[in-house]
Amino acid sequence: MAEMTGTKAFNVAMKELMEKDDKILVLGEGVGRKGGTWGYFADLWTTYGNSRMIDTPIAEAGFSCVGNGLAYGGYRPVIEYMFADFSSLGFDAIVNQAAKARYNSNGELSLPITFIMPNSGGGKSGNQHSQSVEAWYSNAPGLKIVTPTTPGDVRRFLKAAILDDDPVVFMHARGMMFMSEEVDETDMSIPSLANAGKIVTEGKDLTIVSWHRMLPRCLEAAAEVTKETGKTIEVIDPRVLLPFDIDTVVKSVAKTGKAMVVHEAPARGGFGMQVSAMIGENCLKDLKAPVKRIGGYNTSIPFGVGEEYAYPQVEDIKVGIMELLK
Amino acid sequence: MKFTKDQMLKLYEELVHVRTMNNKIVEFIFSGRIAGAIHPSLGQEAIVAGLLYAYENHHQTVYRSFTHRQQAIMARSAGIDGFLAELMNRATGTLGGIAGEYHLVKIDKLMLPLSGVLGVTPPTATGFAWSLKLDGRKDAVVCCPFGDGMMSEGYVYEAMNIASIHKVPILFVIENNGMAMTTPLEWESPIEDLYLRGISAGMKGASVDGNDIEATVEALMEGLDQAGKCNPNVIELKTVRWEGHFVGDKQEVYRDLSFRDNLDKLDPVLRYEKVLLERGVANEDHFAKVKADQEKIMAEAFEKAASAPFPKKEDFLNPNIVYTNTDGLPIK
Amino acid sequence: MKFTKDQMLKLYEELVHVRTMNDKIVEFIFGGRIAGAIHPSLGQEAIVAGLMFAYENTPYEVWRTGTHRQQAAMARTVGLDGFLAELMNRATGTVHGIAGEYHLVKLDKKLLPHSGVLGVTPPTATGFAWSLKLGGKTNAVVSCPFGDGMMSEGYVYEAMNIASIHKVPILFIIENNGMAMSTPLEWESPIEDLYLRGISAGMKGSSIDGNDVEAVVEATLEGLDQAAKYNPNVIEMKTIRWGGHFVGDKQEVYRDMSFQEGLEKHDPVIRYEQTLLERGVANEDHFAKVKAEQRKLLDAAFEKAVEAPFPKKEDFLNPNIVYTNTDGLPL
Repeated sequence: MAEMTGTKAFNVAMKELMEKDDKILVLGEGVGRKGGTWGYFADLWTTYGNSRMIDTPIAEAGFSCVGNGLAYGGYRPVIEYMFADFSSLGFDAIVNQAAKARYNSNGELSLPITFIMPNSGGGKSGNQHSQSVEAWYSNAPGLKIVTPTTPGDVRRFLKAAILDDDPVVFMHARGMMFMSEEVDETDMSIPSLANAGKIVTEGKDLTIVSWHRMLPRCLEAAAEVTKETGKTIEVIDPRVLLPFDIDTVVKSVAKTGKAMVVHEAPARGGFGMQVSAMIGENCLKDLKAPVKRIGGYNTSIPFGVGEEYAYPQVEDIKVGIMELLK
Repeated sequence: MKFTKDQMLKLYEELVHVRTMNNKIVEFIFSGRIAGAIHPSLGQEAIVAGLLYAYENHHQTVYRSFTHRQQAIMARSAGIDGFLAELMNRATGTLGGIAGEYHLVKIDKLMLPLSGVLGVTPPTATGFAWSLKLDGRKDAVVCCPFGDGMMSEGYVYEAMNIASIHKVPILFVIENNGMAMTTPLEWESPIEDLYLRGISAGMKGASVDGNDIEATVEALMEGLDQAGKCNPNVIELKTVRWEGHFVGDKQEVYRDLSFRDNLDKLDPVLRYEKVLLERGVANEDHFAKVKADQEKIMAEAFEKAASAPFPKKEDFLNPNIVYTNTDGLPIK
Repeated sequence: MKFTKDQMLKLYEELVHVRTMNDKIVEFIFGGRIAGAIHPSLGQEAIVAGLMFAYENTPYEVWRTGTHRQQAAMARTVGLDGFLAELMNRATGTVHGIAGEYHLVKLDKKLLPHSGVLGVTPPTATGFAWSLKLGGKTNAVVSCPFGDGMMSEGYVYEAMNIASIHKVPILFIIENNGMAMSTPLEWESPIEDLYLRGISAGMKGSSIDGNDVEAVVEATLEGLDQAAKYNPNVIEMKTIRWGGHFVGDKQEVYRDMSFQEGLEKHDPVIRYEQTLLERGVANEDHFAKVKAEQRKLLDAAFEKAVEAPFPKKEDFLNPNIVYTNTDGLPL
């Protein structure tokens, strides 16, 4: 076991992959000598040089498509955007090109490309550097969306994302990548993207589905509620949004009878709507209350000190839990 | 470049081949046997035929992307029966009739992906060309033709810059027919000579009469030769679009039709016939025979494609054509 | 252009003003009093000062976009106190500390939006310039500066073509400091002279020494004049970025630091001091005096800004700053 941050875990995963597969290359702004905006690619340039760690012009549209072209040519490109917000400039390459490449070859090929999107707030950088964009991509069949939260999961699911033969949008909580945990470095298994849900804490009175920066907040709120009421809460980290592991959630709701989804993106139109609908469709007989959704305010993310006002806080989640437990 | 008699006759045959395919497409659309908006290359045959010739005579393997006006090249690349069936949405198509002519991709037949969204083809082709370079392949090159309309997309600019910085083996070919769908060049570009955009990306570039089949071939052969040595470059081929943007498009609504006054002078087929007559290489009988031969080939091929069945519902809704692994990803 | 003595002294003051503001920003960041990544223009002061001077000395109304390195020009546009408060996220800011320096827009002060997402500023400014033309305004023009990094975005190419086709009154200024964040020019552009991209969009263009404040002023005034006559054009100003991409960015990791040798030769402040000494326009005492004055001015302004309160939660979560009509659209 080794203590590592999310950033380190990302870096370790990249090293482990690039050593084994020389078809993996990285394109993005500053991914070469600088080691990436966030340091995810530190030291890789020293080993792999300009041919595999490719500093691009600030041209997201162009380098996203170039990545697709490299994938058509048999490579396994990893495309990094500085911020998930900037993926808007590469949107067509992702939703109209990569996502449809397999269909347009009648299933003959697929693009094994991974789009790295540093998601979420925490940097106080305002409304174009802090968004959580899961929902932007969840309506484009052909894409998979991988959203690990903890360092250990970042390491394993990044590998799963890159090794997957379909185009994958890999979103991680940029604001949590400095946090560390003990990671089993010797575990070289590649997790399946299909049943990736993980029960983080077990409980019997309420099921919460949450990821990224809201996950620790849910755990904290749940612990407080348990302390105050004795009721226990099952918290599930889906880790992958597409394909979504509904079975794990259904089993949990069958036990608890109540469910809540919490994420950082605005509640309206957020992926929580999809989770809530799936729970509704699959658990109607078990549900003792309507599924509750807690998400960010339906506004721009404030710049600076106001940032957290727009995101759900532990207290908001706690209030939601108490309402559901009534 | 000096063309032999055989080469000239071949070029003429290719021109007629492309023209005949264009006419057949129009015929099949007006008779209701092809659905959808198809964009044949009527008037621009010298470019399509020239590319066909260059692809087959260049010393390296030429991976190619396509424009929506290059049906004849797609057909040559994928096989005419498979392509026409794909065009007509038939199950016997190159990709089972699923992708259609707009979205066809078949790497093992050298066909790079087409895109229904304008602009993304050049950066995608640039990425593919880069993969050839990374693979150390000296036997292959990419040719990426597109229209003057697409040239306005920022994607193309980004692609040219990236291709030029990294010296990837790609030839960009701008088919400048003076019309971006409904918009004439003066309202789509501040400059008339679009190859200058390639120059400003640090590449070599040239502008050529795209209605002159021999000039087109010469320029393309030189461009491919340079690209094959990792000197990406750009060739602008100037031509005239005779018809609407797609078959059935009423261009008289938006277009000054005075371009039609002397269209015969620009017609690449008639022009080449005159050249061959002047050179004593062929006569009217030969022209008539080539046309009849091509008409026969095309009529049979089109009939064969049109008589094939459509794909079934389950072919369209096959989850395996959306994901490689569909666990947890039902399409319904 | 012949500069009068007063104009030269003014230009020098502006240079020192910009330099001092840059130094203050660095000081406040390292002192933990400004949060976030801020990108001052250290080494590029001649461009910022030159633009400020040109904006104030052209006969035209100049609408302008900011960049992440033009704090001083933005401050002059919206007012120093309001800008610094906005930079520091304070409620006394130009837009109440809500938008911050990254996203500030204030049309009534002629400040057009600049975007946190790189590339979209030029097409947006082009649209605004077009609106001036459509509105029949004949004395108004748009100045749109941006860096060599942004020049790689297809948005800029599309903007230049559209501006040129429709002859809208806009001046594009490329601040070419040779670094796109962490990427040197050779890996971001196949050509060294970026104004050629403007030429290929059918515009007039030129490249000048962006560390020469008088050259910047001359070129900008001429460019604005042409733009106002509906001849959109482009000026490339070559300069050098001294620091990292933002304050705190460790550029030695990715950058060949040999550019630092002989840097004083490129220092726009020192260069202009030499010019003024040679011309007998000012002496060292004057330089010291200007620096002390600017220091005092900006010390006071920065202290004033930082003492102001932050916006309140309800200011940030005001539904009316999201929609004009919030019926059925709760936050």
